[in-house]
Amino acid sequence: MSTDIARMRNIGISAHIDSGKTTLTERILFYCKKIHKIHEVKGKDGVGATMDSMDLERERGITIASATTNVEWAGRSINIIDTPGHVDFTIEVERSLRVLDSAILVLCSVGGVQSQTITVDRQLRRYNVPFIAFLNKLDRTGANPFKVREQIAEKLGHNAVLMQLPIGLEAGFAGIIDLVAMKALYFEGEEGEVVRIAEIPADHAAEAAGRREAMLDAVTMFSDELMEAVLAGRPTEEMIRAAVRKGTIARKLVPVFIGSAYRNKGIQPLLDAVVSYLPDPSEVENRAIDLDREGVERVLSSDPSAPTVALAFKLEEGPYGQLTYIRIYQGSLTKGDELVNTRSGQKIKVGRLVRMHADTMADIQEAVCGDIVALFGVECASGDTFCSPGVNLAMTPIHVPDPVISLAVAPVDNGASDRMAKALNRFTKEDPTFRTYVDPESGETIIQGMGELHLDIYLERMKREYRTAVQAGMPQVAYREAIGQRADFDYTHKKQTGGAGQYAKIVGYIEPLAKGGYEFVSEVKGGRIPRDFIPSCDKGFRSVLRKGQLIGFPITGVRVVLTDGNSHPVDSSDIAFQTAAQAAFREVYPKAKPQILEPIMKVSVEGPSEYAGSVFGTISQRRGVIVSSVEDGTFARVDAEVPLSEMFGYSNVLRSLTQGKAEFTMEFLKYGRVPAHVAELLSEQFLEKQRKGGRK
Amino acid sequence: MTPDVTDELIKRSPLRILEKSISGGLGKGNIGVLASQKGVGKTACLVHIAADKLIQRKPVIHVSYASRVDHIMTWYADIFKEIAKAPRMGAALEIYDEIIKNRVIMNFKQDGAKTDQVLRSLEAMIVHGNFAAETVIVDGLDFCRAGLDDLRLFKEFAGRLGLEVWLSASLRGDGPLFDDRGVPVMLEPCLDTIDVLISLVHHGNHVHFNLVKDHDRLAPKNLRLKLDPTTLLIAKDIPRGA
Repeated sequence: MSTDIARMRNIGISAHIDSGKTTLTERILFYCKKIHKIHEVKGKDGVGATMDSMDLERERGITIASATTNVEWAGRSINIIDTPGHVDFTIEVERSLRVLDSAILVLCSVGGVQSQTITVDRQLRRYNVPFIAFLNKLDRTGANPFKVREQIAEKLGHNAVLMQLPIGLEAGFAGIIDLVAMKALYFEGEEGEVVRIAEIPADHAAEAAGRREAMLDAVTMFSDELMEAVLAGRPTEEMIRAAVRKGTIARKLVPVFIGSAYRNKGIQPLLDAVVSYLPDPSEVENRAIDLDREGVERVLSSDPSAPTVALAFKLEEGPYGQLTYIRIYQGSLTKGDELVNTRSGQKIKVGRLVRMHADTMADIQEAVCGDIVALFGVECASGDTFCSPGVNLAMTPIHVPDPVISLAVAPVDNGASDRMAKALNRFTKEDPTFRTYVDPESGETIIQGMGELHLDIYLERMKREYRTAVQAGMPQVAYREAIGQRADFDYTHKKQTGGAGQYAKIVGYIEPLAKGGYEFVSEVKGGRIPRDFIPSCDKGFRSVLRKGQLIGFPITGVRVVLTDGNSHPVDSSDIAFQTAAQAAFREVYPKAKPQILEPIMKVSVEGPSEYAGSVFGTISQRRGVIVSSVEDGTFARVDAEVPLSEMFGYSNVLRSLTQGKAEFTMEFLKYGRVPAHVAELLSEQFLEKQRKGGRK
Repeated sequence: MTPDVTDELIKRSPLRILEKSISGGLGKGNIGVLASQKGVGKTACLVHIAADKLIQRKPVIHVSYASRVDHIMTWYADIFKEIAKAPRMGAALEIYDEIIKNRVIMNFKQDGAKTDQVLRSLEAMIVHGNFAAETVIVDGLDFCRAGLDDLRLFKEFAGRLGLEVWLSASLRGDGPLFDDRGVPVMLEPCLDTIDVLISLVHHGNHVHFNLVKDHDRLAPKNLRLKLDPTTLLIAKDIPRGA
């Protein structure tokens, strides 16, 4: 195994659902001789694609957890992370992007740029990840790589350049013309493993020459040397490749490749492109937060002899115990090394070190910076940073969105109870967007996540992996409460029950805070409230905001301004001011036009245009607002904003309405005000629940 | 939002002048056409007309054939920003988030979209989507390709669903664009189907509005409106020296 950093590539494969990522990954493994037989997703052979290691994924034909695997191609070591396509699991995608240096963006050459392609593109942009595009499914009816290239340019705003040209399309898709080498490539042998290089067919020569010129036009921007050579009419392949590489790594160029993974066409040239155009780890700048000096970031060096810095980005419970996937950003790792978890301060010893294939692994002795490997038996959470002793750095915290949906779960019997706890403990470690807590009032165990499907998957996994049957309640939306206007308070807390009394007086107002959250401002002058007790007021307000009086959900978007107050030399105390703040808020809250907010999701439905009318109907029935609809021939896309509470069961509705031909994605957009009739209903339910609770 | 603020926005809009000139407005079941050469400002006018309806809490469907959806959204945001800059019109921005929910954008690619298909989708939006539009804005219909038949389809549709439909028509051709009555030569065959026809013409630094047809009357008239070149809003045209 090569440990030369320039020979390493860490790539992700990102795409819209059903664009064929898993099929593509499967082919890559096959051509890199990691597997000896190709299995299809939803394969008839009952084996399923190798990367979908969980049974559940096999059954649903989707990829949930990203498995990482290492392959070798043309003497390069390539780590691949197969990322999930469904938007409910974008935390997985985001985590992968954090640890990868570059990506292949897979697009369906029929569907083109779809809603989730846009989401993934935004993520690639956020983490500044260079990528190449692969237009898959060229054998499908309606495939049009030129249109899709245009969409990448127009809809995503990338300088997308075709590097290849198809020979035939749809059922007649026969081969690929490489516009750099100006050769035709055919994929022969039983599984396309033999690449036959031939001259460009005469009837494609003129088009190929034209496309090459367009490609060179775009690429010469990145190399003066190439520019001169083109003007002189003598550009070499090396010059072109060097310029494409430069443009790609700078994210100023997106080279576009084509093929059909399912038909075994175009994969080997894509692997060549990964090697030629995507960066090695030393070409990507990585920064870590210095935990000893606030606000200071350190650029990490790709020197294998520097102190070690590694990020644990994924945990997995395997058949042999806990597996921790780590990316080494600086230094190296050798068996027996001692590392410190900079979050917990815990020391660990590197025991077994392995390189992962989807389901199998190989023991290794050492790994250097840039590499992605896995450790055995290390206690940590995902997102933890490991460093050599004496170094105190943390990799940038990964952006984790707040959960928008929750569900009460209860084990069916006592035996299941332990296993459920174990499972939940595991899942929360693996996936930061999955959370769990026990509701102190009802005593119920609540799980929280990013969507219905997200929670469904975990319930299923509990059943399969932990043999734990649980009873799940109705999904519950994470509502918020907020205030609509400013209201003033003037509250005195006084208690005299023998011994030391309690006294605190506070005056001020609360007002809406547009950016959300909570702000506390003290404008109290002249020590009317002793300085020590100001934080007590803050604490009191904070505690009361956790549960609103309307429906018992957290109150957000409030600024509390304290303007005046009073105290007593003996009877005033921390607790007196806390109590005063709580009571003052309870009193003033109803005067501030309190309202209920609900999560509004950005929903995108795509499918044949004949179903557009039905889709409009489903959106309007769900209190949704249709923002736009785009019809492009037979294909339509509807974008809407719909309250999450109305989206339960939508996938089933859509499936039966469109015979499974339409699909939708959704993601959290904003919190919006609940209409009056719904707010009333929610309040009633809350009061009812409280009455019942009171009777217990 | 207090109703009197919105009232002010409605009352002070220059579009009241337009309405007055065309017998109180386009009216349900009718077709209005804004005609000019490319790049004169038809889209801006249409968006301003739509914005005025939205301020009146009247739902609008904006049909477009060419633009990207996000471009159209930007048009609306910009037009509202400009409206709000005028004295005593600041409320336009405050209510923007709320009233923009009454706008749906429907984008069709010209190559793939036949008028009957467009109307089917429009009807689906209104009926199945439960979107009670009163006004439909149609921007970018290619009048050279789409013939009289297409316009009749729109007219029939407007009548059946009780809508007013505003379209833009891009004028082109080698010969003169207008005949001696001021009727765009390209639209002559459709004149009977069009209820209100307004042409936008460059006049010095300004774009002026000429009313060519007002329902049953073919009466060329300067509307005393102009398109402000900086704000791209329809504005009163106060003659110099007045």
